[in-house]
Amino acid sequence: MTETTSSEWTGTIDQVILGATKEEGGTRSCSYRIGGESDLPLLGTVPAGIRQPLIAFELCDDLHAWPQIVRHYVGDVADDPAAWSALAGKEYGADLIRLYLTSTHKRGFSDFNAVGTTVADVLRATSLPIIIEGSNEPDIDSEVFQSCGEAGQGERLLLGTAEASRYRSIAAAALAYGHSVVAQSPIDINLAKQLNILLRETGLPHDRIVIDPYTGALGYGFEYTYSVMERIRFAALKGDSDLAMPMICSAFDSLNVKEVRDAEPDLRDDAAVQWEFAAALAAAVAGSEIVCVRHPKTIPLLKEALSALNSGVRRAGGESP
Amino acid sequence: MPTVTFLPTYRKIDVEYGTTILDAAQRAGLAMNVVCGGLGKCGKCLVYVKSGNATYDRDSLPRFFTADEIARGACLACKSQVSGDLHVLVPESSLIQEQKILIEGNGKKIDFRPSVRKYFVTCEPPSLNDPSTDLSRLLRAIQKKGGPVAEKIYAPLEILRQIPSLLRESNWTVTATIAIVPGGYRLINLEHGDTTKRLYGAAVDLGSTTIVAYLCDLTDGSTVAVSSNYNRQISCGEDILARVNYAKKNGVAKLQLLATESINAALRGAANSAGVDLDDVYEVVLSGNTVMTHILLGIDPGYIIAEPYVPVVRRSLSVIASRIGVTCAKTAGLFSFPSVSDFIGGDIIADIIACGMGERDEISLMIDIGTNFEVVLGNREWMFSCAGAAGPALEGGEVLFGMRANPGAIERIHIDESTLEPKYETINHIRPRGICGSGLIDLLAELLKACIIDRNGHINRAITHPRIRQGAHFMEYVVAWKGETDIGKDIVLTENDIKNLIMSKASILAACFTLMNVADIGRDEISDIYFAGGFGNYINKEHAILIGLIPEIPVEHIRNIGNGAVTGAHVALLNRPARKMLDQIAEKIGYVELNAENSFMDEYTSSCFLPHTDLTLFPRVEKLLNECRIRKV
Amino acid sequence: MTMKALDIYKILPKKNCKECGDPTCLTFAMKLSQGKADPALCPYLDDNAKSVLGASTRPPIRLVKIGVGERNIVVGEEFVFFRHEKTFVHQPGILFRVEDTQPEDEIRRIVREVKNETFTRVGIDLRIDGVAIGNTSGSPEAFGKAVEIVESEADLPLVLKAASVAALDAALVHCGSYAPLIHAGDPGNVPEFAQRALKHGCPIAVRPKEFSGLAALIKQCTDAGVQDIVIDLVPADLGDFLAKSTRVRKEALARTAPEYAYPVFLETRDLGKADAGTYLGILKFASVIVTDPLSPAQKRAALTLRQNIYTDPQKPIQMTPGIYRVGNPTKDSPLLMTVNFSLTYFTLQGYLEATRIPCYLLLVDTEGLSVLTAVASGKLSEMLVRDSLKKFDVENLVSHRDLIIPGYASPLSGRIEDATGWHVLVGPRDAAEIGDYLDNLGKQ
Repeated sequence: MTETTSSEWTGTIDQVILGATKEEGGTRSCSYRIGGESDLPLLGTVPAGIRQPLIAFELCDDLHAWPQIVRHYVGDVADDPAAWSALAGKEYGADLIRLYLTSTHKRGFSDFNAVGTTVADVLRATSLPIIIEGSNEPDIDSEVFQSCGEAGQGERLLLGTAEASRYRSIAAAALAYGHSVVAQSPIDINLAKQLNILLRETGLPHDRIVIDPYTGALGYGFEYTYSVMERIRFAALKGDSDLAMPMICSAFDSLNVKEVRDAEPDLRDDAAVQWEFAAALAAAVAGSEIVCVRHPKTIPLLKEALSALNSGVRRAGGESP
Repeated sequence: MPTVTFLPTYRKIDVEYGTTILDAAQRAGLAMNVVCGGLGKCGKCLVYVKSGNATYDRDSLPRFFTADEIARGACLACKSQVSGDLHVLVPESSLIQEQKILIEGNGKKIDFRPSVRKYFVTCEPPSLNDPSTDLSRLLRAIQKKGGPVAEKIYAPLEILRQIPSLLRESNWTVTATIAIVPGGYRLINLEHGDTTKRLYGAAVDLGSTTIVAYLCDLTDGSTVAVSSNYNRQISCGEDILARVNYAKKNGVAKLQLLATESINAALRGAANSAGVDLDDVYEVVLSGNTVMTHILLGIDPGYIIAEPYVPVVRRSLSVIASRIGVTCAKTAGLFSFPSVSDFIGGDIIADIIACGMGERDEISLMIDIGTNFEVVLGNREWMFSCAGAAGPALEGGEVLFGMRANPGAIERIHIDESTLEPKYETINHIRPRGICGSGLIDLLAELLKACIIDRNGHINRAITHPRIRQGAHFMEYVVAWKGETDIGKDIVLTENDIKNLIMSKASILAACFTLMNVADIGRDEISDIYFAGGFGNYINKEHAILIGLIPEIPVEHIRNIGNGAVTGAHVALLNRPARKMLDQIAEKIGYVELNAENSFMDEYTSSCFLPHTDLTLFPRVEKLLNECRIRKV
Repeated sequence: MTMKALDIYKILPKKNCKECGDPTCLTFAMKLSQGKADPALCPYLDDNAKSVLGASTRPPIRLVKIGVGERNIVVGEEFVFFRHEKTFVHQPGILFRVEDTQPEDEIRRIVREVKNETFTRVGIDLRIDGVAIGNTSGSPEAFGKAVEIVESEADLPLVLKAASVAALDAALVHCGSYAPLIHAGDPGNVPEFAQRALKHGCPIAVRPKEFSGLAALIKQCTDAGVQDIVIDLVPADLGDFLAKSTRVRKEALARTAPEYAYPVFLETRDLGKADAGTYLGILKFASVIVTDPLSPAQKRAALTLRQNIYTDPQKPIQMTPGIYRVGNPTKDSPLLMTVNFSLTYFTLQGYLEATRIPCYLLLVDTEGLSVLTAVASGKLSEMLVRDSLKKFDVENLVSHRDLIIPGYASPLSGRIEDATGWHVLVGPRDAAEIGDYLDNLGKQ
């Protein structure tokens, strides 16, 4: 029998700050504070200044493995990560940009200067806070994260992604340049906790970690993610400080699934949007403070729904959400 | 037929063409390592073909041997066939060696109430005035000497046939041996004159790897000799599963024979060292796991290992020892312990007797780590048990330089936290050949304390140190350099070894926590932890807790009961009434099937972390590790 | 809800009499704790034990059925707050709404869609469950007519959203014996509505003016003899529904408030958006969801979400082990082995179909575990592969002896080769790459 009444919660989720304004030492037009809950998702009271769930628009610097439907919808701007980021802020309405440096995934990649340049360009083009996803090859982790970290110094980036077998380089860059880290585990609450402990032992403070439980697409393992998120949040509220971090979800495979691929051409965008929307909404309900999407049309739907979901959440100090 | 000559002993044997070198060696009386059962998988049967003709697959060699070894003629004895006269060098490391076998038990005082007694009687010879039968005369004399009531003594036919001549030839002075049996007493032997001082019994641990026998004087309860021996069944399969499969293919007869041969060898060894005649051994009390017991009694074990995992018999059994081939007094009885399930056998019941956990109100946790592990949690009122395979890592298997507790095994090690340099001790204090289980536990704990590895067992690549390097396939830590070892190679521990060790210890810890979950017991409610099994005596208890092999409780409440199986058998040998308890204990234990427990996989994943994902369960360890970390920074 | 074995043991007679079929009271207690035994098997339980063991099994939320026949909707009897505690039991019924102001062919079109359209995923057919008819006109005649049209088109579970008693009566004429859900008893009409529900044996939804009026409304129903009730929480928006539904589920499980011990009804119009409202309802305990007809994309997403959330976490959906074909494979076609977890199969099959390379798939029985879990737990072993090859007579299926195994099963490759004698090829970890993999294989 679960004890789900709020009187039995003893834990509070850490608050992570994303982005830095001029006053805070950066160049973003705003910074966000996420976390701080002491009750189940979207219920109860949160501290003043908290804004969540946030919507991150995902884009990349090399489309070779990106869902085709996105390129089809977005057009040529997809070839220019800086311009695309600007669009994401101004037109799509995203709260954050999540930049995947997919160029570093190519075999034998070594142009680390280009990494720094791309990050700097994107930082100039958009004033939204940024999440940067780096290499997927441990051998070049150190250089790639160094470049990203350095280029974004002072901007309070969220760097991704640390895993149990490769977390030292990204933690080092986060520590050196004042960024936070996305910690990913394969849909397992124990592995999530273990990674947080390992990161803590590198010296990374608690409030610089965001948990990524790894999100399966709707119909392709999504419910496993949903339940592990509920479990993580429950454990955190029951007092487990090694799981009391905000979460981030990206069902990035959503745009590749059979149901989207097989939809009639004029209904394909709808299918893609609904597939992302349902998963992102569910992730927010399970407690994710950042939800990520790749189809621009998903964002307005999600924004409206998240705003309505927040209607019951009280802010300490009485300010409106 | 070609002749195989084994060096350095120059033992020769003639064998048919195509015989494997391994078979030839065994026939020649060389006990070779057969860890994988002769399947060509473990590489531990290394021999060098010095000259002559042997056929083997050269392509598989690089997996096990260095180029240097291959150049010197290295091959796998189990997979190499004799194709002509042959000279083969068998290195010592390929032979089963005298191990540090655990023989001592608990040293507890035992109530002495044996099941066999001897009575020296002088009977009144019959006369016309007193024409009562030989038998009644004899039995009355026994009763008069303090023995049981004559009507309750059963005299079997073999004894009856001896009575007339024996009584008269001995001039009516004989020694009668009376055994207590269900329902009364049995006259099991009759001898000339006074042989009351020659009354012995044996307590035997029928382990799957080693057999230990205590020879006890049943007139006063003292132990006169201890002996141990290898279980010769190893040649038919290293583990239980392999042997049952062997029995399925070839019948149980050979295995049964090997079991009794091994027991007899141990008994002979003990008898010889004490100057005792095996004919004077009147009872054998034996504990072994379920499969071993079945095989010993010649009962088909085949259905135990297949769903639904049903043994033929669970209760304690008494048979005439000679009937199954155990050499002692012809009419001596053999009592075997009951079991609980296919995986919790008589040896575990014996462990429970040995540590006394069934007699106390306090809750104890007993862990028997051997080839497999068994865990029992409980007290006088209730008990839960479970079993599982930990994998061979803790015994040295699946670890590159792992080995059994043989001479040359590193059994203790300390790493200096600032210099990262190790200090170690080996068995028999000779040059190191590898690392055994207790050494591996030490090593894992020390690597963690020195922050060389993280809690997942990953080596910190950021450390620059000559001992921390990339090996052929994995990162590794050099324990001993080539120059100091006895094997001409560096002894290292790789990240892969560490992973296997962590997985092994995780199974055991997860089993403990699963039982604790089922019983809803926290670690602060556990009063004592007992280690049993051959592995137990040499574990550093602090390190066992540090790496999360067992739950954390105060160290002074952790005890080694050593070889609980033989200790328990010993108790039952000397104290017959204690045997009643055995079936009761076996009956009341609730067996928990780990595979069917939902929480086990979760506990296992949590336990694959040093010491555990939930750090609140290991507060002392956490304090220690924090201090280590602070010192590092 | 589940008691621990030792706690149960404490209230058992501890005679070890074996009459329950177990050798000891302790093992019987273990089985009771896991729900694998019936307390009635013990002839010596005292009254206290009987009530303790019996009580813990009674469902905290009432079972309610809507409609008759094979497509009826069954909801309620839920035990948990989070699906991971055990499982959600009865998935919500989703009904499309028509208005009595809509033209007849529009009504018929929607009803036909609900009746006929199925969306098949991982081998299971997913459908919308029924139709709700709205009395938007306010007129009993129009309402009656609309219900009649719906009934003539299909036998489906219905929700009657009558604006008045007269309208309700007009509707019940056409469908009264088919257990439609009457929506809704409110403070103004509940005695009459309840009386209709009782007369026709229909379940009734109650909708107070404010959430706090729920208890009184329910009492009026139960006093009238109506037990099959669903509760409308009158949510203001998505956030409000989340808060109310959470509270209702918590209190129902804690058995602290009898007015919450009923399934929840949700009209997505109250929340403003059909898609977000339906998704939230599915996630957060709604048992009956009435929504304006969803677009094809919204419908598929909703049905998939419902399937996902209401899957029993401990019983992964499985395929029958055996040989499956993609396209028309021949004796030279590739042979791939994988686990019988439905998701794995359908994902892989989907990508394989896209490659247009005919091949055989051998599904081995890992009891529904995924590749990763099956390898970690040892369920996927070389013995299983060997036995499966034999059982399904694979040697006679293909002329080659190459077996492609999933990338995550690579630790087993050597052992599988040894056990089967087949040549093992290690495939990609990600099913999406199977096309490239097979192409490269073909080129060699």
